Amino acid sequence: MSLAVPIFELNQVTQQFGSTPVLRDINLRIEPGERVALVGPSGAGKSTLLRLLNGTLLPSQGEVWALGRNLKSSAPYRLRQVQRQIGTVYQQFHLVDSLQVVHNVNAGHLGHWSFWKAAVSLFWPLDVETAAQALARVGIPEKLYARTDQLSGGQQQRVALARVLVQKPVVILADEPISNLDPELSREMMDLLRDLSQQTETTLVVSLHAIAFARSHCQRLIGLRQGRIQFDAPATAVSEAMIEDLYRLEG
Amino acid sequence: MRQSPPRPSWLNASSVWGVLLVGAIALSFSQTGLLTRPWLNLDGWPLLWRFLAASGQPDVSPAMLHLTLNATLITFSYAVCGTALSVVLGLVGGILASEVWWLAVFPHQAGRRAYLWVGVRSLLAIPRAIHEMIWGLFFVNIWGLDPLTGVVAIAIPFGAITAKVFSEILDETPRQPLMALLNSGVSPLTALVYSLLPQARLNLLSYVFYRFECSIRSAAVLGIIGAGGLGYQMLLSLQSLRYSQLWTLIAALVVLNGLVDLSSALLRRRLGCTSRLALNQLKLKRSPLTPLKKGGTGKAPLFKGDRVLRDGIDQFGLSYCRQPTRQHDPILSGLGLGLMGLIPWCFWYVGADFSKLWSPRTLQLLGDVAQSAFPPDMSGTPPLQLISLSAQTLAMSILAIAGAGLGGILLSFPATHNFLLPGGLLNPGQGNRLSRVWAWGILLLTRGFLLICRAIPAPIWALVFLFVLFPGILPGAVALGLHNLGILGRLMAEVTENLDQRPLEALKAQGTPGSLIFLYGVLPMTLPQFLAYILYRWEVCMRETVIVGLVGAGGLGRLLTEQLSSFDYQGVVVTLVCLIVLTFLVDTISGAVRRSRPSAS
Repeated sequence: MSLAVPIFELNQVTQQFGSTPVLRDINLRIEPGERVALVGPSGAGKSTLLRLLNGTLLPSQGEVWALGRNLKSSAPYRLRQVQRQIGTVYQQFHLVDSLQVVHNVNAGHLGHWSFWKAAVSLFWPLDVETAAQALARVGIPEKLYARTDQLSGGQQQRVALARVLVQKPVVILADEPISNLDPELSREMMDLLRDLSQQTETTLVVSLHAIAFARSHCQRLIGLRQGRIQFDAPATAVSEAMIEDLYRLEG
Repeated sequence: MRQSPPRPSWLNASSVWGVLLVGAIALSFSQTGLLTRPWLNLDGWPLLWRFLAASGQPDVSPAMLHLTLNATLITFSYAVCGTALSVVLGLVGGILASEVWWLAVFPHQAGRRAYLWVGVRSLLAIPRAIHEMIWGLFFVNIWGLDPLTGVVAIAIPFGAITAKVFSEILDETPRQPLMALLNSGVSPLTALVYSLLPQARLNLLSYVFYRFECSIRSAAVLGIIGAGGLGYQMLLSLQSLRYSQLWTLIAALVVLNGLVDLSSALLRRRLGCTSRLALNQLKLKRSPLTPLKKGGTGKAPLFKGDRVLRDGIDQFGLSYCRQPTRQHDPILSGLGLGLMGLIPWCFWYVGADFSKLWSPRTLQLLGDVAQSAFPPDMSGTPPLQLISLSAQTLAMSILAIAGAGLGGILLSFPATHNFLLPGGLLNPGQGNRLSRVWAWGILLLTRGFLLICRAIPAPIWALVFLFVLFPGILPGAVALGLHNLGILGRLMAEVTENLDQRPLEALKAQGTPGSLIFLYGVLPMTLPQFLAYILYRWEVCMRETVIVGLVGAGGLGRLLTEQLSSFDYQGVVVTLVCLIVLTFLVDTISGAVRRSRPSAS
């Protein structure tokens, strides 16, 4: 395919909650295989942008195209088909605490599994081999049958990543995946995300507070400030001055 | 190939409890004698039909409406007075029963402290174990049908329950400010008033509202023993077969309950308390490595279409209130003042003669009762019969709570705002007009059904079922089950509405269909909390077996009623001991099950 369909394309997207605009006039194109970091101060709209990308939110104005489909005009069934190709890792893991790890990992299958298969699996876990492999990949194979709420934060984040692995998405979105982890774990998690993206040619869009990781692990940086894109450049072209400007305090 | 860990055994705490549960329900079922003797009274059908048919023609004559209004005001006033007194008792008892109070008083005498603390707690356990109806029947024998009987019958057990809950709330409130004051030499009571009480006031207040909702239901029940109000009038109409009047009264009770529940919910929302009932066992612990930034996710609206929740999601403690956003809410202050005025008015309207409380005659009568009660005498009822009646009572409570729990879970989901409505879990789209109407219809219907179930007192339900069921534990269990179904369904709906949306959002974002979001998200997150509610309600059901026993459903309640009406106080003591033992047994089992589940501890 010479003219590959972009993974994401945003045209004139504005998102507001009530009367407060959170994102304004966003135009953006993300190609297959890219590793993109969203950076910017708190409240710049990074999380909102990610939620637009995975179809959790629909834009107030403008168009969000994901995998060649306009999310806003898609029927719920079509929307879900697109969403199955998009895996998301969250800052606070968003796991179901009271379930065993194996079920939280298997939740990655839910876009494909039939209701009955999913129901049976809650009592007699199915496809255990896939779940075990995913957990081995993220480094906690021994936690397969542990209860999720008994894991540490770093381990829970790995479970969340294992869920995405099982989902086998075309693109992984990560919303501040390391902000609750210590420096050591942060590096491991970022390495995992980068290796995964490289080995399986999965597109990666990750919002980060740690600029160093953004530079070292991603190819492209998008700076968001007050709901607008302040810069969008290759990691190598982003200067200290640009970063300082991005985080400059108001007034 | 890598070795994955072995599958855990089927045999674990949950499965053992599950088997025990099924066994207990089966045993209880055999107690009903459903298979061995006739239970359906076909002769009662015409009567039931007349009762149901009358629902279409409630009596709306001016005289009846006047009577209904009067009765409603009486029931309401009983509830207000009962709650007010129980809050006073609860506050005093709650402070005395809290660990932190004794810590403040005796900072360095651990031994004496434990002794006093445990002492007060056990002292409170006895009035709590006895249902307000029994207190009512007891005081009727002393004061006759004085309104005082109704008020005190609510205030004593509710005061003890409130004290227990208050003490738990106080013990869970952060202590550092209190300790700071104590260490600077402030006296314990002053220190408490300046630290713990203001810190805990929202949780305390939220619980008071919930208690008031319970008081309304109890006030209606107490009417049945003759204390007046809606319950009394309902009993009269039912016994004199004037069903159209009965329906007018039922409507009044439903409206009263609905209004109280609604205004209590609104008030609590304004105060920032999302849930009615604090079950401290329900707090889900977060591991220390996953700090939850307050309002961390609050910057973006959470989930589903136009219902935007912006205040952050602090719902890991079930009913722990947030600080209100505004310091001075004019509506709240206005309502507060209104309530202050309402309480004296209710005391005036009830017209209870409180001087009777300490009159010499009361003391003399109490002394007489005490004298005639001791030594307890079981000659009236042989031990074997007592055991069999106890088993029946236990079976009734198990059947009632099993039915109420199952029905509550099933009905709670259609009764929530975030389920079938457009944008809800099972209806992701915006929906057209028809689906909107349909969804709202289902919601209002289930809510209405739950409201009717809980508004009508269990003894009235029992009397209705006694039309077509032969007396025994079956009509009692059905009546108790239905009444508690209404309460549980609403509490459970609240759990679902207050659920942490983030795991659900994550499932939704990866394209999971609604049915599977329910299976992998909603059910695992709600079931532990549902279970805790069911167990808590089982404890209440056990106490309530007495009130359906009163109208002829079997068990210890019936025996107790007979003994009380024949002034057989020696027998009463024996029956009461049986009831208290059963209540403690149920509380212990319920506590053990709750603790055995890691999520609910």
